[in-house]
Amino acid sequence: MSGDYGHDDHGHHASPWGPHDWSHGAPHNSFAPLIMSAGFALFLYGFANVFVGGEVADLGALSGVMLGLIIVTIGLLVWWRQDMTFDGVYEPKATGAPFRNIDIRKVSMWIFLMSEMMVFTSLFSTYIRYRLGIPNCNDVFLSGEWIEGTSVVCFEPAAHLIASSWFHLAPGAVNTFALIISSFTVVLALKTAKMSDKKYSDKYEVEMENVQAHRSRKVAVFLGATLFLATLFLTLKMIEWFVGFPTPGPLTNLNHGHSEIASLYTEGYRINADTYQHYAYDTSYHDGKDIPPDSALYSMMQAGTHPGGVMMADIRVGASTFFVTTGTHGVHVLAGMIGLAYMTLKGLRGGWGPSNAVTIEYFGLYWHFVDLVWVLVFPFFYLF
Amino acid sequence: MMQQKSFIRTLVLLTVLGLALSMAPKADSLPTGINGFSEKGCTCHGAVPDPGVTPSIEGLPANFNASTTYTLTISFTGGPSGTSAAPENLGGFNLAVDSGTLANIGEDVQIWGSNEAGHTELGNDQTSWNVDWTSPASGSATFTLATNSVNGDGGASPDDKWNMMSMTVQGPSAGAAAEELQSADPFVVLITLIIVSGILLASVILYTFYRVSPDGFNWDSFSPWIVEWLTSTDHKKVGTLYFIAGFFFLGVGGVMALLIRIQLAVPGNDFLTQDQYNSFFTMHGTTMIFLAAMPLINGFANWLIPLQIGAHDLALPRINAMSFWLQPFAALLIFTGVFSGQAADVGWTGYAPYIVSETAHTGTTLWAAGQIMLVASSTLTGINFLATICGMRAPGMGWMQMPLFTWSIFIANLMLFLSIPAWGVGLIQVYLDRTIGTAFYHVASGGDPLLWSHLFWYFGHPEVYVVILPAFGVISEVLATSARRSVFGYRSMVYAMAGIGIVAFIVYGHHMFTSGMSPTLRFVTMLTTMLVAVPTGIKIFNWLKTMHRGSLVYRTHTLWALGFLVTFTLGGISGMFFPSLAMDTHLHETYFVVAHFHYVFVGGTVFGVFCGIYYWFPKMSGRMMDEKLGLLHFLTGFISFNGIFWPMHKLGVLGMARRHHTWFITTDDFANIPAEMASWNLFITVSAFLFFFSNFIMVANMIKTVVAGEKAPADPWGGWSFEWMCSSPPPTPSFDPHNPPVLRDANEHIASEPTRFGQWFESLMMPEDDEKEVSH
Repeated sequence: MSGDYGHDDHGHHASPWGPHDWSHGAPHNSFAPLIMSAGFALFLYGFANVFVGGEVADLGALSGVMLGLIIVTIGLLVWWRQDMTFDGVYEPKATGAPFRNIDIRKVSMWIFLMSEMMVFTSLFSTYIRYRLGIPNCNDVFLSGEWIEGTSVVCFEPAAHLIASSWFHLAPGAVNTFALIISSFTVVLALKTAKMSDKKYSDKYEVEMENVQAHRSRKVAVFLGATLFLATLFLTLKMIEWFVGFPTPGPLTNLNHGHSEIASLYTEGYRINADTYQHYAYDTSYHDGKDIPPDSALYSMMQAGTHPGGVMMADIRVGASTFFVTTGTHGVHVLAGMIGLAYMTLKGLRGGWGPSNAVTIEYFGLYWHFVDLVWVLVFPFFYLF
Repeated sequence: MMQQKSFIRTLVLLTVLGLALSMAPKADSLPTGINGFSEKGCTCHGAVPDPGVTPSIEGLPANFNASTTYTLTISFTGGPSGTSAAPENLGGFNLAVDSGTLANIGEDVQIWGSNEAGHTELGNDQTSWNVDWTSPASGSATFTLATNSVNGDGGASPDDKWNMMSMTVQGPSAGAAAEELQSADPFVVLITLIIVSGILLASVILYTFYRVSPDGFNWDSFSPWIVEWLTSTDHKKVGTLYFIAGFFFLGVGGVMALLIRIQLAVPGNDFLTQDQYNSFFTMHGTTMIFLAAMPLINGFANWLIPLQIGAHDLALPRINAMSFWLQPFAALLIFTGVFSGQAADVGWTGYAPYIVSETAHTGTTLWAAGQIMLVASSTLTGINFLATICGMRAPGMGWMQMPLFTWSIFIANLMLFLSIPAWGVGLIQVYLDRTIGTAFYHVASGGDPLLWSHLFWYFGHPEVYVVILPAFGVISEVLATSARRSVFGYRSMVYAMAGIGIVAFIVYGHHMFTSGMSPTLRFVTMLTTMLVAVPTGIKIFNWLKTMHRGSLVYRTHTLWALGFLVTFTLGGISGMFFPSLAMDTHLHETYFVVAHFHYVFVGGTVFGVFCGIYYWFPKMSGRMMDEKLGLLHFLTGFISFNGIFWPMHKLGVLGMARRHHTWFITTDDFANIPAEMASWNLFITVSAFLFFFSNFIMVANMIKTVVAGEKAPADPWGGWSFEWMCSSPPPTPSFDPHNPPVLRDANEHIASEPTRFGQWFESLMMPEDDEKEVSH
């Protein structure tokens, strides 16, 4: 099966670990797919052994999870090492109408985004089904159809906690702007990388022979800024989910006198919360002044047919929907960060220039998509 | 230097192996032994056993029957029990058994594992307890019982006495060897078969390597050869790997089908326990659809798409290798449960809420994990083939010049690609429900099982078209070539497939007619489902019309194509019973459904795959297959296939329920199954064995061809698509990437220019500033 055309890149037995020789067309053999698949499987296997039915069953299997992640990383590094030398000289172009002369990678990226769209559509379907199909906790509370000490099933939107004060909303709001700005920095990186040698040399007064290194470093700075903003996003998300943060002294007044903003986790908003209790669902909170007089609960308590107290709720479905949807988005941000780390590294090594700048554009397509999803997630899960 | 490097590699390999071995025991959860209880005895009340206490077990027969549940009464006499006035804290017990399963009846008994039982806080106040014991299929069972006689003061005092006894009960008489064989644990049978197959696979690899280079049969030449296969991104090598994986799992799934058929051969059979039966039909469905049919189709797609459209390789070769390598590891995860005796038992549909319940087998979690990897694999495949077919067609090959097989793969991948994320999300929800404890499908917390059905069938119905459309493509190619003319109604063929692709997304509700879905939705999906028959009918008509004025050459692939026409049409006709709401309610849970989907899956997809194998094998291997063996395979296979599934229509109409562990001949008014059913079921089982073994004729044929077949010309059948232009086997890369072939029409003109719409679209896709700033 030897090649007939003199462009056979399989004949010269390049190492399946080493960098590609791009002049031969399609990439040559690679161990990366095999390694990454094995690592992925080991990760899923270990994870299913650590957690069983919502409880930690076997912490020892965490070694499997870690080993899986390490193996995936090794596969990724092999993949990167093979691509690091890509300089854009060989960029496969489409030949079929109506995509003629467009980069194949661009076509592929747009097709990939179609399936990403379906992923988030399915998550939003789940959200809509449960948001509309399960009575809202606030409505159940005001209807008076509950009794203290018995858990009722209801949908508690995370927005009820988050939108209750500006401080709770702060991490999400900052995140929104962080992502929007990060989309802008990606575009700056692309614009810089695309600048021709002459234009760049005129604009930044750099010697012609230094342009490539200088420009690539500048691209790396913009990509690094994007990476920083993405890291900020995930950090704030962790703070919002698990950590919480103190209110700065002078602002405690604005925060109803509380010196700390509790995380969703410490507020009891958890996937296993089947006995969730919150001050908002306590008839004695503010001496009951928060209960609107036109509600059924108010009239029942006036008539003495409802003893009042604290409503206990099973909010597992609402919490699951929130954490898994925003978590899936977070995983997409993480995937983008991994790509950004590679691209920043490549920039620092002087790898970006007008000939291969489109790589940044195609990453940007993905990154804008992740941004756009957040623009939908934010109002649905944080505001309403 | 090289020595040093290989030493480090060996070290790394050994470390990984060591870690893997340390984790291996976790994979093996076959219940063995009883926690060392029988050696130690109970020392909670008094240090030494006291002969004054007499434990006893009642309710055990002298010889137990296989897989039968007995209610045992555990009690004791003697000791200080009852000496105190208050009737509490009287005694306790601990019962262990080395085979079979214990289960509690009331709140007074608790179970540890499945083979050890003891009293609870509540049962402390009694002197006798009841517990259920389900006997094993064979062998004997040894019971070890310890009882405490307590004086009622609630604490451990020297007055308290205990004693233990042990008794052994023999199982079904172990007489003839045949009976022994029948009672072998089917999981053991399956594991043995898989391991034997693995060894066979390794031997085949070694033998193949030996045939390739008989002079260099040593490690130095073996390692680059095997590394080439493990790392290759060439579409032909990856395609071959898909074929190997697909045929391997076709065999595994076939073995499971045979075990199911043995179980169903006679009424009231208990060859498989109910648990095992559930696992087997789950694994059979999963294996056949995701690990056999899809890889086989991907094998054809990988091999032929670049060849048919004149591309040197797929658009994203490394992503293509990734799609393949995800599959064997996904298969490992899916089968993990089999090795621990706890394979998924949720059906290939995995209906909620059972799939997230604790009673579902533990293997279900990893079954879902493996499916998630398959979803990832299918997504990557989708990107790859859509990008390849959109972007890498040879100059002159417009959309309407594409071969029909390429069209079928395009539409199938588009459907799969747009539908599988829904199922992927559903699987992630299930995986998280079963691991970290989210509550998407926990009914008690408000989870909705119907949501799973929607997410699953939104993918599941397009999926059945995903596996049948490529078969349509194969049949179109084969019939046109065999009839020695172009296919009749090319455009209508394309529009019919596109029509199926669109309608596929709005018919899935017909799987949920009996699930309590809204009547409006049921009515809508009833109408749209009936609509599917229109494009499918057009295709059947076109195939018939292609043969009508053609001049048919009866080669093996032609025979399989004709067989496909018969079986697929029959499957299509039986399929038309289900969209009708009233009819479906009657037939939904019967063997009529089993008959229908096997007629389209096996009679459609698998026959299409066989047809494609006989048609393209000379292209792939460069050698001609044996036509006589092919004819034998077709005759035995076609007849035995119909022998299996045709009588199932009758069984279904007469009310034999599918998914059931066994069946009985009864004159009961509500479950009336006449006596003749017994002979039909036996007939089906015999046919199933014939069909299974008939396929080995093809395997033998393939081996014979590769070893000693005569050399194939570039175009043995007279086909005229691009793949017949290259040599057999094709070179690597398949076409010169710097000088691609050009498709010209009969007048030697470039066949296709984009339409005005296409030109407008192209102008949108190409921003001007790219041209100015970036020049290659």
